[in-house]
Amino acid sequence: MPFTLEQFEILAEKTLHFLFILKKNGEVIAYNNRCETLFTPSYIGEVKYITDYIIDEDVKIFKGAIANLSKENSIISKPFSFVTKNNMVLALKFNLTYHDDLIYATGIDTTEEYKEHRALITLSKLTKTGAWYFNPKTKEMYWSKGCYYIKDLDPDVPMTRELGASFYPIESRARLEGYLDNLIKNKEPYEYTEKIISHKGVEKWVKVVAQPVIYKNEVVYVNGTIADVTERHNYIKKLKYNEETKHLALKGIQSGLFDHIIETNMVFYSSAFKKMLGLPLSQDFVPEEEFRKMIHPEDVENALKRHLDNLNKTGNHYFNYYRLKHHKGTYHHYEVHGFRRKNKKGETVRMIGNLIDVHQKKLDEQTIIEGKSRLQAIVNNAFAYTVLLDTQGKILIADKKSLKIIKQDFNIDPTQTDSFFIDVMPINFKNSFVHTFNEALKGNTIKKEIERITNEGDTQWLESKYTPIFDNDYKINSILVSFHDISERKLAEQAITEAHLREQELSNLKSNILSNFSHEIRTPLNGIMTISNLILEDKYPDEQNQLLKYLEDSKDRLLDTMNKLSNFSEINAIHDNLNFEEVDINYIVETSFREYKYMADSKGLNYTLELDTESPQAKIDINLFRPALNNVIHNAIKYTKKGAVDIYINSEISKKNIYIYIKDTGIGIDKKDFDKIFEPLIQGSVGISRQYEGTGIGLSLSKRYIEILGGKIKLKSKLGKGTELIIIIPRHL
Amino acid sequence: MNILYVEDNKINALVMDKMLSKHDSNVIIAENGSQALKVVKEKNLDLILVDINLGLNQMDGCELLQRFRKLDIIKNTPVFAVTAYAMPGDKQRFINIGFDNYFSKPVNFDKLLSVISTIVVS
Repeated sequence: MPFTLEQFEILAEKTLHFLFILKKNGEVIAYNNRCETLFTPSYIGEVKYITDYIIDEDVKIFKGAIANLSKENSIISKPFSFVTKNNMVLALKFNLTYHDDLIYATGIDTTEEYKEHRALITLSKLTKTGAWYFNPKTKEMYWSKGCYYIKDLDPDVPMTRELGASFYPIESRARLEGYLDNLIKNKEPYEYTEKIISHKGVEKWVKVVAQPVIYKNEVVYVNGTIADVTERHNYIKKLKYNEETKHLALKGIQSGLFDHIIETNMVFYSSAFKKMLGLPLSQDFVPEEEFRKMIHPEDVENALKRHLDNLNKTGNHYFNYYRLKHHKGTYHHYEVHGFRRKNKKGETVRMIGNLIDVHQKKLDEQTIIEGKSRLQAIVNNAFAYTVLLDTQGKILIADKKSLKIIKQDFNIDPTQTDSFFIDVMPINFKNSFVHTFNEALKGNTIKKEIERITNEGDTQWLESKYTPIFDNDYKINSILVSFHDISERKLAEQAITEAHLREQELSNLKSNILSNFSHEIRTPLNGIMTISNLILEDKYPDEQNQLLKYLEDSKDRLLDTMNKLSNFSEINAIHDNLNFEEVDINYIVETSFREYKYMADSKGLNYTLELDTESPQAKIDINLFRPALNNVIHNAIKYTKKGAVDIYINSEISKKNIYIYIKDTGIGIDKKDFDKIFEPLIQGSVGISRQYEGTGIGLSLSKRYIEILGGKIKLKSKLGKGTELIIIIPRHL
Repeated sequence: MNILYVEDNKINALVMDKMLSKHDSNVIIAENGSQALKVVKEKNLDLILVDINLGLNQMDGCELLQRFRKLDIIKNTPVFAVTAYAMPGDKQRFINIGFDNYFSKPVNFDKLLSVISTIVVS
């Protein structure tokens, strides 16, 4: 049922719509009450133009719109903004209807929507965001202007799904189309950030969000936004790169970043570091107490003390060190280098810094120390004395013994103070040292023998060796001076020389002995042969008996010589066949004494024996002792023309030894011949006397026998006055 | 022919006397150097035989020879060494000292006598 005129009138006046009737030039012919918010009511005869109330920007649009109106194109719908009496902006959406050359305009207040719209446009521009929707049924694709701007595309270009997809690089197109298809099928929203190539060929990054609108369990259309995130993407990329750089840098020095908030006592650690220590990654901040458990128990106390000292000291730096436990269970050495931020009171409130793994450094240091101590050990044990000098002659390393001598003699410790080797050596070595050291600096290895007197007064021979040490560039960086004790070698050399001389002497002696034996044999043989000849010739029948007696004498003497000779050669065999038995020395001496009593008596000598008061026992080989003693007694009697031969025994002088004295008043021996007297076949002079005939082998034999038994023979004598021989024989009990 | 024999061993001196006497020689024995030096001054000698080893602490034959050589009276008298020193080199040693000849003991009398027979009696 159509409106009555009255009804219509009421509707026109009560409506919230702005109603105008306009001429085609914009002249206002009629308006309803609502329009009075725009202008004061017209007095009669006044002409009003609607364009006077439209904002400048819209005037042209309005004029264009009404100019387009015609019988064929009779309705236009367009928004225009007005300025009210109160200077408010009013957004009206008009339906302009053309009828009988007049325009019937119906405006609806869209000010609020307009505001929102404007804000959205601004937002869209500022954030480079666009909105879109897609109708899966009609395949209609709508793009807001923002979408066009992002793609650098003219907003008038009609949009289709295919055109929209064409901005993605070919390789990602199918995948991204799949998202939309999946959304339509499974009604699930999606979101992605992808690269596009704009209409102008510019590479951009966009974030796309899509959400389904569902009607009767079917997707009727898809709402979405697209945002240009190129800047953000680049920023994030840069950030990531920086983060990675930092991470690599930290990793490079095996360190962890920390940020310690003193007030809460919470510490932020970089995740890589937390991973290394086995701390939970879920929380950014770790309580300081938690971290402290990672410190080696032996280090905690000192580390904490240093920590507190650090907080209280002036300046902003922080330094600490301790061992930290890794998640693998091993401890590593760490150094902490940080920077402290202080409040106005000067209290540290925050600390940022780095925990640096110095384990390898520590290990290297340790290795160097160990290496050095090993080197020192080699130095201490390899040579008697070793000193390493730099090219200036300063002591770098010295062995213990050398250090001891230097400390003792010069009161200097080269390990504590720089010392030049030349300052810590005896004055008489200095010249030679300077010369040799300079030679070594030329690259020559030099050996020299040095003789020194030790503190104990012994002579010590040292072989000094100067060895230049080259670095990798074949430059001399130090000189190793070693002193090798060659005293033993020197003494051995001397011993060899002496032995050689002795051998020479022995050899001379041997030929001497042989010569003497030859003489001693030839002399009686001369008599024997000549007498035999005389007897055989039978020219002196009256003297036959006399000649035979001479023959007998000569024969005896020859036999005696031969006996002694065989005794002498036996001596070496004796050593291997000793037979010790315990005997009474009193008894043994008395037996020998008696054996020679007849000989002494026949010479008219005063021949006595005084036994020891005890019966001294000794372990001896009687077969050696007997001839040794007999020889001595025999000699004493033989070389004494008149006077006495006295023998006595004493066991009280020493507990170890028994002394047997054989004293005579015979021809005596010159002091210079004392040593010779015991050499075989030496008797008083080079020649052999007829007066005291004999091979002279007796005493040397006695001496050697007694020595084999561990004893000694001592000699006291004065030429012409007599001789005293003392046999000292060990008891060996 | 007068021969002086300086020898300390009585048996050897005796047997030398006996051996040489058989060949018309007059042998004078001296027991040591000083006796010998006395004899050379008193007797006109044609030959002197000297033992080398004349006993302990006694002048030996070598020293005696040096003394003889200083005496003009026996300047031209031959002096022979007669000794038991008969090792290799001994003969040379005594000849070098100045003995005119050398005989080792035991004495080879055939040789000694043949040498004596060449000596022209003064």
